[in-house]
Amino acid sequence: MITTENLTKRFGTKMAVNNLNLEIPKGEFFCFLGPNGAGKTTTIKMLTGLLRPTEGRAILGGHDIQKDPVEAKRAIGYIPDTPFLYDKLTGREFMHFVAGIYGMPDDQVSKVGEELMELFEISRVADQLIEDYSHGMRQKLSFASCFLHEPEIVIVDEPWVGLDPKNIRFVKDYLKQRTREGLTVFMSTHTLSIVEEVADRVGIIHNGKLLQVGSIDQIIALQDNPGSLEDIFLEMTRDTLEEMVP
Amino acid sequence: MARHTIASVRNESKLKVGFVSISGFLLWLGGYYLFYRGFVWLNDFQADTLGAGEMFTLGQILMARLLSLFALALFFMLIFSNVLIAFSTLYKAHEVRYLIQAPMSFGTLFLARFIECISFSSWASAFIGTPLILAYGVVHGAPVAYLVASALYYVPFVTIPAAIGAIIAMILVRVFPQLRMWASVTLAIVSILAIGWYAQQRITAERLGEDNVVIALFEATNQTQSPYLPSYWATAGVLSAGTGNYGDAAFYWFLLMANAGFATVVAIFASQLLYYPGYSYLVGQDRTRIRNMMRGPFAWATRALRFLRNPQRVITIKDMKLFWRDPAQWSQFVIFFGLMTLYIAFIRPGEIQRSSDFWRTWIICMNIGACSLILATLTTRFVFPLISLEGRRFWILGLAPLTFRQLIWQKFWLSVITTSFFTVGLVILSCIRLGVEPEVFALSLFSIVATNFGLSGLAVGLGAIYPNFQEDNPARIVSGLGGTLNFLLSVAYLTIIVGAQAMLLQSRVLNAYANDAQFQLAFAATIAFMLALSLLAWLAPLWLGLRNLNRMEF
Repeated sequence: MITTENLTKRFGTKMAVNNLNLEIPKGEFFCFLGPNGAGKTTTIKMLTGLLRPTEGRAILGGHDIQKDPVEAKRAIGYIPDTPFLYDKLTGREFMHFVAGIYGMPDDQVSKVGEELMELFEISRVADQLIEDYSHGMRQKLSFASCFLHEPEIVIVDEPWVGLDPKNIRFVKDYLKQRTREGLTVFMSTHTLSIVEEVADRVGIIHNGKLLQVGSIDQIIALQDNPGSLEDIFLEMTRDTLEEMVP
Repeated sequence: MARHTIASVRNESKLKVGFVSISGFLLWLGGYYLFYRGFVWLNDFQADTLGAGEMFTLGQILMARLLSLFALALFFMLIFSNVLIAFSTLYKAHEVRYLIQAPMSFGTLFLARFIECISFSSWASAFIGTPLILAYGVVHGAPVAYLVASALYYVPFVTIPAAIGAIIAMILVRVFPQLRMWASVTLAIVSILAIGWYAQQRITAERLGEDNVVIALFEATNQTQSPYLPSYWATAGVLSAGTGNYGDAAFYWFLLMANAGFATVVAIFASQLLYYPGYSYLVGQDRTRIRNMMRGPFAWATRALRFLRNPQRVITIKDMKLFWRDPAQWSQFVIFFGLMTLYIAFIRPGEIQRSSDFWRTWIICMNIGACSLILATLTTRFVFPLISLEGRRFWILGLAPLTFRQLIWQKFWLSVITTSFFTVGLVILSCIRLGVEPEVFALSLFSIVATNFGLSGLAVGLGAIYPNFQEDNPARIVSGLGGTLNFLLSVAYLTIIVGAQAMLLQSRVLNAYANDAQFQLAFAATIAFMLALSLLAWLAPLWLGLRNLNRMEF
């Protein structure tokens, strides 16, 4: 469902992502881990077509995001870490706007949109301007709008910021449930405890290079000093911490 | 911050920086040439000296009056722009939240932001003002002291309107949010009517229809000579320095400096009384604002736009809602068009129709010029930022299955249709009131429609060539390099369009055409020229803008 072939991004002399090769099948919950500045967001931006790769390609739902962007974008939904929305629209208007840019018919928008707003508990504020929403409510609205057009792939960038524990639990369970129904999830996060709960496979990226890919058990088994996922992650990315703490 | 901003220009494409610099310089040079020719023309009024005791010729007095007029217009424009800039800098900017909790007094905080307001509001006026000042100096043969004085006078001159603007902004923040909607709207309408009435009483264009142009110019500029106006102190001081009268020059400079200092002190004092309570009130308002999308004018607009296909339809409705729900946006739109409508409504057609063909044709051309100039201001202020305003939300449109070509054309058509609705209406109203001949009516109509296409194309195209995705405030987006270039190119374009029209019609009034056939030929040639230029202004920036967006990374 998601394939990257030698995906590379250079900013001047800085190598942000270096020859990334991934194969994520349909229905997999894939978690992408790495310290700050490792190349996670750059990878996500290349997967979503917001950045052009220096080399290599990304194929989503069978479509090259650079060569066939419109069809590739139909297949994906994206939830950013900071949900910048149109503040002067209401939540309901935003849902209709997103549905419109995906070309959904009006009757379907009303039905699916209301269901999603109910599900993500934003129905009661649906007619309020988004500028009056809290960060968590904005995040829930971006979740709800992401699922409007029934994407085959959802790309999520650190989605937990601003969500309360109840909503974190709900989002986690909802995404896991949808992967069982065939949705593919590519999630970048720092919250290792959640990764341990939901991930089918994990990829660890550091300094733009993919260090490990596999299930959590596989990754732990491959280490000389097996420990928790947190221990392994800290060990693999130690040079970054040493750079930060001289 | 200024150092980092300058440093960031080094990282921009050299071609882009070079293009902007050269275009800016050429426009500055063009402005200088126009002012220079105008002053040379005025300087020719040598015969009418004011008598043996006077040391100025009439031409020189007229030039000085025009400088005063420019300074006065600039003074009021700076007050208006400073109200808007002060509001965004003092209340709406993201960093205000951080600065409010910092350990400093509100007076200190205000002063820091106030200096930022001055620098934001004044650099564009310096760009427009320098060619005028220089042209006057060259024609008048002024010494170097004149240029030094102009630079010295500039800082106190821009400080006074900045202080007045900031005080007005702080008062408005305290008063307006507490008024009910009907009271705010009534107050706004009464203010516009009062300004319109004053304009009609003082500066109606038909006064130019008087036989003596000199008397007409004197009457029109009388208001600029009040000794209570800072614009008068600045002009009188600069002109005194130009004639070597350094005593008067120093007097006016100290007068201006003292008042700038006083205005700043008053503004700081006002900030201690008004700033924090106003900020606190804004932040602490009841934030529950309900908008039912199934009712009201937008529900009607959504149904009316059903003929449009998605995604264009939803993006258009979204743009309309964002515009309408931001009072800072639509209030400026209403003020510009309100004043122009009032002016045209107040025209006394009988008097103008009795005046000579020469002046009547000038008034027609000036009306179209004024409509086009307002249009250029509006496209720069409202259309240019449209692409930039998608900025941090580009993940929504950037990830949607739509192309940038669709997005660019949607912005263009939205701009053309909206602005045409107002400007074409104004020109039709103006032509009917003036009772113009059918061919002049057709030419005026063609001119304004072509200008709508040209100016919208320029604004959308340049908005896509020079987007600023880091800024949410349209006023700040416009005050950047791209916005300034857009305004200058728009003014240059409409000057050529209106100039071509004026040349055609005035040549006929002055019997330059041997017969009707020759006039018809000139008419067709003018139309063809205006069409070609408008097509260039419309399509070239759109193409370049689209190319830039397609190459861009987010």
